Amino acid sequence: MTDASGVERWKEHQSAFDRVRSVAVTVSEPKSADRIAEQAHVAGNTARDHLQRLVEMNVLQTISGETATLYAPDPLYTRMQALRDLLDSRDRDDLLELRGALQEQVEDWQSEYNSDFPGDLREQAAHADTAEETREMRQTANDWEIIAYRLRLVEDAIEHYSDYAGSTPAPA
Amino acid sequence: MFAFDGGYDPGEASQTILFELRRTVVRHPAVQHASSEPPGQFIRVVATLDPAALGSDADEGTLTIRWYAGETADAEPEFAVHYSDSTEFDCGWHHEPNPHVEGWAHYQERSTADDDYEYEAVEFGSLQPVPLIWAILNRLEARLTDR
Repeated sequence: MTDASGVERWKEHQSAFDRVRSVAVTVSEPKSADRIAEQAHVAGNTARDHLQRLVEMNVLQTISGETATLYAPDPLYTRMQALRDLLDSRDRDDLLELRGALQEQVEDWQSEYNSDFPGDLREQAAHADTAEETREMRQTANDWEIIAYRLRLVEDAIEHYSDYAGSTPAPA
Repeated sequence: MFAFDGGYDPGEASQTILFELRRTVVRHPAVQHASSEPPGQFIRVVATLDPAALGSDADEGTLTIRWYAGETADAEPEFAVHYSDSTEFDCGWHHEPNPHVEGWAHYQERSTADDDYEYEAVEFGSLQPVPLIWAILNRLEARLTDR
């Protein structure tokens, strides 16, 4: 089975801690330690130890489930990590320029599809003439959703630039 | 994934997954470099591959990953993990609505950009993004070695 050797290769190149972290921060809904252990290919107790550390590091938060503790990404950490990635290679002028480019992209889609939101476009996609048009419109709606989030993130970074950038030297 | 205000934000969920995929994929021995594209927008991850490490004799290869986490937290993700190389061959594992196969999961390939794609329904053991990308890279290696 090629998928099984894919798992072996993953285990060879990412530590148990990294595997638990990467699974736990990408779950769509809160999951138990056993479920995360299974997905990350680690033993249940190993997963519990690593998850506890990730909670202490504020990467994850716990939610009391009916039968077990559930783990979910800490939204503050998720936001912080995305901001760090954004600020690592950009100064304030770069962010302003990026905001302009993202706004322009959204306006282009709004006028091209005569839609205000990605949801409108998704609606239109369902009634498109050809399967190919449906596929393209859905894909644009998905991209739009990401760009809309990205825009909010960039606005946050601009608004709090001096707090977030701290004493980090401006990129050369 | 949980938005800042506690609700589900598909944009944030998708971006967080793309971020993790960029981080994990560079650990694979065939991946030389991975970046978020278009720069600043981050709607896909593009990885530069060493095709020889995947059993291909192409000089250059690229893996492009799109991932949309779904409109709601319990929706299935839409994604495409697509390979292309300097011989013009391209192929990919996709999970999205399509008119070619029953269901969302499929594999498609063509030998040159002028050919039509051939489609085949496939199954993914898990839709968890990080283990899935390692499974797909292994399927890619098997396919390229086979050619």
